[in-house]
Amino acid sequence: MFYIYQHSCISPQQTFQDIDLNILNDAEEGKLKVVETRYEGIAPALLRRMGKAVRIGVGAGLPLVKENPDGIIIGTANGGMEDCIKFLDQIVEYNEGMLTPGNFVQSTNNAVAGQLGMMSRNTGYNTTHVHRAAAFENAIMDVDMLLKENPSNRYLLGAVDEISSANYNIEILDGSYKKEPVSNKALYDSATAGSIAGEGAVMFLAGISPQNAVARLDATQFFQAADINIVIDRLRHFLERHLQPGENIDVLLSGENGDIRLQPFYDAVENELPQHISVARFKHMSGEYPTAVAFACWLSAYILQQQSIPQHAIKKNASSETVKKILIYNNYKGLQHSFILMSR
Amino acid sequence: MGVISAIGNSVAENLVSLREGKCGIGTSSFLDSKYASTLPFGEVKWSSEALKSELDIHTKGITRTSLLALHACNEAIKDAEWSREELSSSDTALIGGTTVGGMCLTDELYHDSKAGENGSEYLTSYDCASVNIFLQQHYKMNGIANTINTACSSAANAIMYGARLMQHGFAKRAIVGGFDSLAKFTVNGFNALHILSDKLCKPFDQKRKGLNLGEGAAFLILEKEEDLNGKKVYAELTGFANSNDAFHPSSLSDEGDGPYIAMKKALGIAGLQSKDISFINVHGTGTENNDLCESKAILRLFENIPPFTSTKSNIGHTLGAAGAIEAVYSILNIEQQEVFPHLNFENGITETNLIPLQNRQQMNVRHVMSNSFGFGGNCSSLIFSKY
Repeated sequence: MFYIYQHSCISPQQTFQDIDLNILNDAEEGKLKVVETRYEGIAPALLRRMGKAVRIGVGAGLPLVKENPDGIIIGTANGGMEDCIKFLDQIVEYNEGMLTPGNFVQSTNNAVAGQLGMMSRNTGYNTTHVHRAAAFENAIMDVDMLLKENPSNRYLLGAVDEISSANYNIEILDGSYKKEPVSNKALYDSATAGSIAGEGAVMFLAGISPQNAVARLDATQFFQAADINIVIDRLRHFLERHLQPGENIDVLLSGENGDIRLQPFYDAVENELPQHISVARFKHMSGEYPTAVAFACWLSAYILQQQSIPQHAIKKNASSETVKKILIYNNYKGLQHSFILMSR
Repeated sequence: MGVISAIGNSVAENLVSLREGKCGIGTSSFLDSKYASTLPFGEVKWSSEALKSELDIHTKGITRTSLLALHACNEAIKDAEWSREELSSSDTALIGGTTVGGMCLTDELYHDSKAGENGSEYLTSYDCASVNIFLQQHYKMNGIANTINTACSSAANAIMYGARLMQHGFAKRAIVGGFDSLAKFTVNGFNALHILSDKLCKPFDQKRKGLNLGEGAAFLILEKEEDLNGKKVYAELTGFANSNDAFHPSSLSDEGDGPYIAMKKALGIAGLQSKDISFINVHGTGTENNDLCESKAILRLFENIPPFTSTKSNIGHTLGAAGAIEAVYSILNIEQQEVFPHLNFENGITETNLIPLQNRQQMNVRHVMSNSFGFGGNCSSLIFSKY
């Protein structure tokens, strides 16, 4: 359990600096790509060398590392995939000849955490969790433990993943995205397999003191399962453990992504919860990617702060009551699952 | 413990090779790269096909990195005599470090990333997580699982994360380690950075010319003291720390700030002073930059320099596996009360003149420090102690 004091999000929606969630940006060519910013504070020469993952990760993280956190903890499934493929192209094109190392150095998963550490001269704890759709959840776990070990510290907690031509093509081959053209505005209406590609960078400044907090992250649980019954069993245990007697969640923020193959999991979780709670969704905003759950955490923090859920995100029961607790459920490819509980 | 490297397919084989001062580095037989015959590599002496048949793995989409990891993990689990129930308990964590993961299949990745059709069997196998996800499924594991990539310190951070999960009660026991296999991708990356030596690497030597890449995997089984019930204990993990050098994406700061802080903090966690360290397994890659900066950091921290060696001259730099393989070697130092020869050394670095131990010898080994430093400034140090 820890508190969030500041957050920063570069996503396909208007989430960075002048936040406006009433507008819903459209996907282009089946991809929800991030709205990039001017990246103030990054020298132009350095910015030119950065691939997108590093650029958006550093761009979202820089306003927060200014607060001198005691360490940097990032979750990413793929890191700089575009740089990776550019380097791969060099290898093939020049037949393993004399290559320039820039793309190689930027392609490593830990480039965002490393770059943020370097730019802020931060010699504290620095790590990069990469367990695909449990990368951000492990980063949460790490921060939770760090704050128990060092209660007066504050940490930068973040996640980043990008759409590159490489992982987009590979995911297409793997059947992760819809074959037919799809609008993110109609993502949940389709009855076909696959979702829509997304990307984003989310950063939080976290600590143990409730003072000046905008939200609280209570707990996470993540696991692999192919069986819905296991998911429900885990959900029951998770809520039993982390809700006080008589306490309930107000909103389920569901990771539904329009993929008909995963809908039974989401339906089962929704049905397991009391009927009166609000249900909202986020993947029409973020798109699907391994660390999309970090966007859900950002959206939850924002909802808890603003006490309002964007209209287009509401699936059921737009409650006018105070939102005190949000449960996020995410499911990646029917294999990796996670629950995250957030509070006001 | 379990380990597979260029000098052996088991802990026992590695121990014999270390004692004999065996170097497993040479031309590669299995790497698909034009450098396979021109640069030296610390290659595991089994083809992927041989590994598959040895491990009885017939599922599609399994990469060489996963096979190496499975081989080492099997040995560790067998050594710990864990039951199936212990393995699949939700209290059992699996944490691994890697840098290349499934990207060892450089050509397949290239093809799949371009093609609009005819995807290979490896579509979900390219990322770092694919290896541990395979192990989770293979062993039917239900506890916390994680993969860490902090470049060459990945496995050290994996060991540290597993230990912390246990300290905080998120796991009762943990399998922790690291794995990487030789890949055209990394070979060309390190080559482009001009830090690969075309000769056998010479860690801590004035005439060092760079590193040799290696491959392998290692896992350690961690259990809490209260759960031992008379089980065999190799060593105690007493100290660990992580710091960022915050200097440059691919080289260490002149005075080795990150390495210094990591070593110093690890001592603090272990409740030890620098004079308590019996032996250091240095990161010692054989590059100009690492060995000089690591030397300076050691000189800053230690009044009297403990005996030290780099096993990179035996097996090459195994990147994401290095911290785990070297943890096994450090634990062998403790278990055997013995240190093994550092190879290919002639003259100390003029500026620092730290001389590694070049002969096998019996000695009182109480606390071993094992260093791992990586790109992105990620520096970690572990301390293993005699239990």
